[in-house]
Amino acid sequence: MFVLDGVTKYYRDVRGVEEISLTIRQGEFLGLVGPNGSGKSTLLKIMLGLLRPNSGRILFNGEPVDDRGWRELRRRIGYMPERISFYDNLTGLETLRLFARIKGCEVDETVKRLLPGDALRRRVGGYSKGMRQRLNLAQALMGTPDILVLDEPTSGLDPSGRLEFYSLIEEIREQRVLTVVLSTHLLAEVEERVDRVVIMRDGRIKAEGSITELYKRLNLPLKVYITVKGRDTVLEDLLRLEGARGLLYKNGYLIAEVPPERKMSLLGLLMEKRERFEDIEITEPSLEEVFFGIH
Amino acid sequence: MVFTEATRAMAWKELTDKMRNRWVLLVAFTFLLFTLMIAYFGAAPAGVTGFRRMETTLASLTSLVSFFIPLMALTLGGGIIADERERGTLELLLASPMSATEFIVGKFLGLLVAMTLAVTVGVGAGAGLLSIKTGVEGMLTFVRFLVNCIILGLIFLSISLFVSVLLYERSRVVAFTVLIWLFYTILYDLGVIGIVLITKGEIGMGPFTALLLLNPVDVFRLLNFLGIGEFRLILGLTAVEFPEFINTTFLLGVSLVWLGVPILGTLLLFRRRYQ
Repeated sequence: MFVLDGVTKYYRDVRGVEEISLTIRQGEFLGLVGPNGSGKSTLLKIMLGLLRPNSGRILFNGEPVDDRGWRELRRRIGYMPERISFYDNLTGLETLRLFARIKGCEVDETVKRLLPGDALRRRVGGYSKGMRQRLNLAQALMGTPDILVLDEPTSGLDPSGRLEFYSLIEEIREQRVLTVVLSTHLLAEVEERVDRVVIMRDGRIKAEGSITELYKRLNLPLKVYITVKGRDTVLEDLLRLEGARGLLYKNGYLIAEVPPERKMSLLGLLMEKRERFEDIEITEPSLEEVFFGIH
Repeated sequence: MVFTEATRAMAWKELTDKMRNRWVLLVAFTFLLFTLMIAYFGAAPAGVTGFRRMETTLASLTSLVSFFIPLMALTLGGGIIADERERGTLELLLASPMSATEFIVGKFLGLLVAMTLAVTVGVGAGAGLLSIKTGVEGMLTFVRFLVNCIILGLIFLSISLFVSVLLYERSRVVAFTVLIWLFYTILYDLGVIGIVLITKGEIGMGPFTALLLLNPVDVFRLLNFLGIGEFRLILGLTAVEFPEFINTTFLLGVSLVWLGVPILGTLLLFRRRYQ
């Protein structure tokens, strides 16, 4: 268990993070989200021991981490930085061996499998962005870390590259207990994968919890998208539901918001009038809406 | 613990990098070319060409390498932090179990081997070719000269590491290393000559020697001057008498201080800044 207890970091007079208390449980997939300058990177650097907080404590498995403790702790943390190009003159395998020697471990077969074909023998200078990210993940996974810290791991990857990346992570998590801390501004990535989200803004934690908990806490409305057959009075019918609000009604296309507690009434109404619709779609609020709903 | 597996890994990476990007080959070739050109054309101003004795060649080569080696060493080490930052590997290395000392010492060792290899192969090959013409006489002098060259390179390599950690932005590092190079190879000696002229030669041998010891390039020149038999004669400086304590051992000690202080400064600054 990794605990940040009242951690504060200022860069001279500028606040990096303030009074951050966070417990990361073993095997948890934690998403750290927030806009640029929200303190995510500062928090990650503190977690990696790259920055010393002005105040507060860091505990690992109940023990405060001191100067010597960091060195030991770093053996148990795999870090995948956002922007890295590695050494162009080394091959993939040489790069992995270099980091293995630094970490005091071996390059095992599981890690090697992340670089398919002849990638291990080729120089990194000729790698694609996707292949560099695989190499980045491979070095982070060396030494079988307990915690994997991912900083914007899919930035610059195309959608298939992103899917592939997260499937790799899932595959590894199926094989062993691995705590993952993912920092990203791509909310859709977090939404589908993490156990818990921490939303940061202005160096502080604004909200934390599972996605479902955050939805409940904010009580964000459901969105209803309806295409009606010709002219219809469906909007008036919808707006009779308590708390409902019309957003758009134009050329037979309707968008409305309905409070989550009116979900069953909404479904009843829609079933009753189903003959009058060409298409219906109901969506739960997205993490993006949660993110912007938190002030 | 300094010479750990992590230190050796960093040293190996630096050496491999400098071998594969052909830095070692390029510098070795340049030294070979310099050595052969100086050996053949060194006496051209006097209207003579052709291969001369080893000691005569080395005396001429001293002037050239006292400019070239500092420049080479400063450019070699000046970018170590900027390069790692630009690649994004600095943060990753700092987040690894490797300590700041292992990182700096590993980098220094790797560059040290690369530079020693380049100088030894380049000057060595030149001297080897020269010995075919002039015989093996003077080879001991050559080895002394080579060691002095390597010491000069190491001093400027350690200065470049300090600059690299101090400034860490490539453009500032480049500007500052050029300034350091100009200062130690040209401006400093002009300043010393200026002082001698202003004082009308009354500065005294003690302060004059002290001024020379404050410049590692002058320490290198003194090492060759005192350590290589015919330098005084060749350079026309037989009348110059330095204080008694100025001998090879003392100058090697001064070189060690010049080597150690920037390295120590680099370690302290790096630890303070990054750990």
